[in-house]
Amino acid sequence: MSDKPNDFIDQYQAWVREGLQAWSRQFDPKDASPVAGPSEAAPGADIMGRLFAGLAGYGDWMRSMASGEPPAAPFGGGMPPFGQGGPGMPPFQVGPGFPPMGMPFGYGPPPGATAQPGSESFDEWARVANETLSIPAFGMTREQQEEQQALLRAWIDCAGHYQRYQTLLQGVHERAAGMLRGQTPPTDAESMRSIYDRWVTLVEESYAEAALSDEYREVYAALVNAQMHLKRLQQGQMERIAVQAGMPSRKEVDSLGERLQAVRRELRQMRGLMAEVEALKAEVGVLRGASAKPARAKTVPGSAAKKATTKTARRPSKGKSQ
Amino acid sequence: MTSNPFHIDPQRAQAEVDAFRRKLEAGLETLKHVGPIELGTTPREAVYTEDKLTLWHFKGEKPPTAKTPLLICYALVNTPWMVDLQEDRSMVRNLLAQGEDVYLVDWGYPDGADRWLTLEDYIDGYLDRCVDVVRERHGIEALNLLGICQGGVFSLCYTALHAEKVRNLVTMVTPVDFHTPDNMLSHWVRNVDIDLFVDTIGNVPADLMNFAYLTLKPVRLNQQKYVGFVDILDNPKEVENFLRMEKWIFDSPDQAGEAFREFARDFFQKNLLMKGEARIGARRVDLRKITQPVLNIYAEQDHLVPPAASTPMYKIVGSKDYTALAFQGGHIGIYVSGRAQKLVPPAIHNWLAER
Repeated sequence: MSDKPNDFIDQYQAWVREGLQAWSRQFDPKDASPVAGPSEAAPGADIMGRLFAGLAGYGDWMRSMASGEPPAAPFGGGMPPFGQGGPGMPPFQVGPGFPPMGMPFGYGPPPGATAQPGSESFDEWARVANETLSIPAFGMTREQQEEQQALLRAWIDCAGHYQRYQTLLQGVHERAAGMLRGQTPPTDAESMRSIYDRWVTLVEESYAEAALSDEYREVYAALVNAQMHLKRLQQGQMERIAVQAGMPSRKEVDSLGERLQAVRRELRQMRGLMAEVEALKAEVGVLRGASAKPARAKTVPGSAAKKATTKTARRPSKGKSQ
Repeated sequence: MTSNPFHIDPQRAQAEVDAFRRKLEAGLETLKHVGPIELGTTPREAVYTEDKLTLWHFKGEKPPTAKTPLLICYALVNTPWMVDLQEDRSMVRNLLAQGEDVYLVDWGYPDGADRWLTLEDYIDGYLDRCVDVVRERHGIEALNLLGICQGGVFSLCYTALHAEKVRNLVTMVTPVDFHTPDNMLSHWVRNVDIDLFVDTIGNVPADLMNFAYLTLKPVRLNQQKYVGFVDILDNPKEVENFLRMEKWIFDSPDQAGEAFREFARDFFQKNLLMKGEARIGARRVDLRKITQPVLNIYAEQDHLVPPAASTPMYKIVGSKDYTALAFQGGHIGIYVSGRAQKLVPPAIHNWLAER
């Protein structure tokens, strides 16, 4: 097959890129980046970010179909269950290499970890890093060194789980591509779009099968747990920095919130009890009024207690307090 | 380069891509002229507010004929406006047209101050007070309760704990068995350390929840949907409908950390509702105490709450008047599809009217 199909697919992909750039500029003239995600663009551009991302994926698929190459992995590089950088963001997105001054490295890749997990250079970096981690901490900053070591270990561990997860997804994708190839070739009357729709169905079926497997469950949970462990260690470092800067830490704010909520529950409960006491007092008042009625009939024409009882009877009883 | 196994005719493919591109270019003009997208079109009045919660009372075009009001309890995930998406896709509007007197619990958007809200706070607290407000307004002992999805689980728990305040119970797309083999969300969360998760992130961000939902069908929901969107770009009304749904999907609240912890652990991981061992606060939820009539509506193509997760309800509730109603559609279609508008509200109304 000639390269001719790729010409117009090139044009299409270029057009999608230009479209996103043009759209981004409408919202922010300074933002002409074709990779600006929805979170970086103006709120109104969110739908466009998703639209163009979907269309770009369609373009990638068309290119692969036209060339006979396996379609690009549809899950992309940013599909962790609960990513470090937030949904849709690769947890190991390679940044400038070093975190901002004073920030724990956990909020970016560790110094020197510039390769993607799964690559040879990453494995080599991890091997050297692990060797370094075996050196015991000492001196006045021993505690901080140990914290950093724990953080680095957690980061490497998380990278390993992320790699397992990506490998699993790649397998899903390859199975779907194989299934599509194994099907009866479409007739000439079939459009590219209908082949695409068939491919999507096969990918989703393959994905669902994998996603419901025991292996996926284990890999998914291990990745989430590793990410949370890493994040906890990061938070610990942030706590220390906040204390040093004389700022309230998250732990302190959480603690206040917990106490406040407990007090609110108690207050509700006491109000409920008070309402019950008031109702009982009203009933007692009525009973007293009834027993003293012959003597007091002239002096109490409309008993307030009786009114209260009538109201209480119509009022639904209050439930348990919050 | 390997040979193309699909024998795609380059000229034909080029024509197809060119046509797609032209349609997209023209459609982007449509997008520029779409005005603000609103959800929730039926006239309504806030009759009770507390913290982030609002209890809405809807106004129909004619006075309600039903003697017992119907309180809708929505899930904590997403906003409740799926039941009143737009004028011609509104379960609320159609229930009003049938003669129901409709109230809706809108949980609002929790923030850091709500981090410690528990299921007990939601069910025995907020929901119970909403029920009391409606009962007081109507001078009645018991109302009709309609729970949706997670709100259906809340309604089951509530009815078991406050049986005297519920006359009839309707549940829609409500799971009771969280461990069916086709339940992907439950499968994924089974081995996750929920305590570590909530202790670490506190409230669960809405974006994270949305991300998890999108990954249930990643290519269909992140890619194919937008390719399909191009097909309707030349139809402003269809574009508005699409954007309205997008707004609903992505404009969703965070989850209060403690309530999420309890729900994920006790329901998703331990399946305690099905085992009869769920607890709200200190009290055990015994669904056999639900002796009032129950109508359980489930969707046959539901990828979030598979039918098998909902249909065993009849085994665990105590009611002798249990009706199951299967709807041909998905988790969302049951509220917004044209067929749902015609079938579901009348089915609910007729079932209630017979009781």
